[in-house]
Amino acid sequence: MNRIILLILFASLPFSLSAQLQRKLVNENQPVELIFHAPRHINLLTVEPLTKKSLHYAIMHTFGTLDGGIENLFGIDNGANIQFSFEYGLTDKLSIGASRTSQDKLYNIYGRYHIFQQMQNGSKQFSLSVAGGGGVNSSKYSFLNDAAPDFKDRVSFFGQVMIARKFTPKISFQLTPMFGYFINPQQIYQIQGTENLYLALGFSGKIKVTDRSSLTLQYIPNLHNDLRNNVGIGWDIEAGGHVFQMYFVTSPALNEQYLLAGGNGTIGDGFRLGFNVNRIFATGQRKNKK
Amino acid sequence: MKRLILFFFFITNVSIAQIFQTESGYVIFLSKAPLSEFNGESNKLNGFINVSKNVLDFYVDLNTVDTGIGLRDKHMRDNYLETDKFPFAEFTGKMRSIPTLVSGEKTPVSAVGKFKIHGVEREIEVKGTLLKNPKGELELDAIFEVLLSDYKIPIPTLVFYELAEKQTVTIKATLKSKN
Repeated sequence: MNRIILLILFASLPFSLSAQLQRKLVNENQPVELIFHAPRHINLLTVEPLTKKSLHYAIMHTFGTLDGGIENLFGIDNGANIQFSFEYGLTDKLSIGASRTSQDKLYNIYGRYHIFQQMQNGSKQFSLSVAGGGGVNSSKYSFLNDAAPDFKDRVSFFGQVMIARKFTPKISFQLTPMFGYFINPQQIYQIQGTENLYLALGFSGKIKVTDRSSLTLQYIPNLHNDLRNNVGIGWDIEAGGHVFQMYFVTSPALNEQYLLAGGNGTIGDGFRLGFNVNRIFATGQRKNKK
Repeated sequence: MKRLILFFFFITNVSIAQIFQTESGYVIFLSKAPLSEFNGESNKLNGFINVSKNVLDFYVDLNTVDTGIGLRDKHMRDNYLETDKFPFAEFTGKMRSIPTLVSGEKTPVSAVGKFKIHGVEREIEVKGTLLKNPKGELELDAIFEVLLSDYKIPIPTLVFYELAEKQTVTIKATLKSKN
């Protein structure tokens, strides 16, 4: 009898004597976050998702080549290729976007879908996303003696698969098999390629140097043509709500199709200064307001 | 001996009746910087008040704090709070004096104890009110301020205009008697 009473007594002790609740995580298994700082990394889209109803605004610039030296302020005098883009999260997995690039006055629409995300407990070892879209060259070509190209000849497409992993808290890597397709790649377009189809493999790397800034790398070898490969090296800075990305890159192109078909300068003299500003806005109502 | 054990058993059971545990709990962090003012909210505040032993214990999973912008939440978790290493904000302490609660009347209370966030623990005082509602539940309201630098959360100069050094924390909880 004594034993039973003692047993009951001890069973009732832990709760009544403990001064603390057991700490429990609301969600035991969470996705690995911020594999990259933003939905863009130098020129390429990343696996970084937008939450539902958030809007990602990016303004991207590339300037002239560095070889003009100080006289042209290392290419800044030569005018910039500028792209504005807006991407909106329809759900936590699917987002749609539109962009406008000054090069050939190209309007692009695109979508991004996140198939799964790398998980903290290792149940998923990497993140997998896809993206694709199409665009129209809207230059007037009024200087041509011949008629300007038809609408359908101005259309181009791209598609890509993004496989990314945060290997350590400091090192992330993304592999991006991608294609670009031009219905009619005419010489007057600001691309060096003459073929319809362009295949390439994008490599993106991020090495976190301080808590809020990283060294960024980009290498996009072409698989299907003799154009030079794209190389970029840069620096990402997280500043509150903004992510600033500064880089040197071998191509002025800012959208995917032109990145693959546009051709590249040499590393060094052919580098151009590039600069992206990323900002994410929330729209709609907050979920847990009370 | 048997009687003594039974006596202790009785005592512990009485104290169980004096424990109020959270039914629902909200935390709001308010950051008021020169160029940007925002809230971080969570409805996952857990805790209890043991009136007879005068023990308070509250914690919140910081992964659940929502500022309304997904990327800002990620930056907050990754760079400032480091929730992978320090997932909880917690407070354990006691009331300076146990208030006599009159149903339907807000009574000022003051608690002292250890507040821990980002792996740093500090002694703080929190002032608030307790109300016993008609259902016999306790309603707790409290406000206190947290200086990020006290908890080794640095704000880089690039961000000082977006994130306030002084965060105002508001707590609202309804606690139910645990019987």
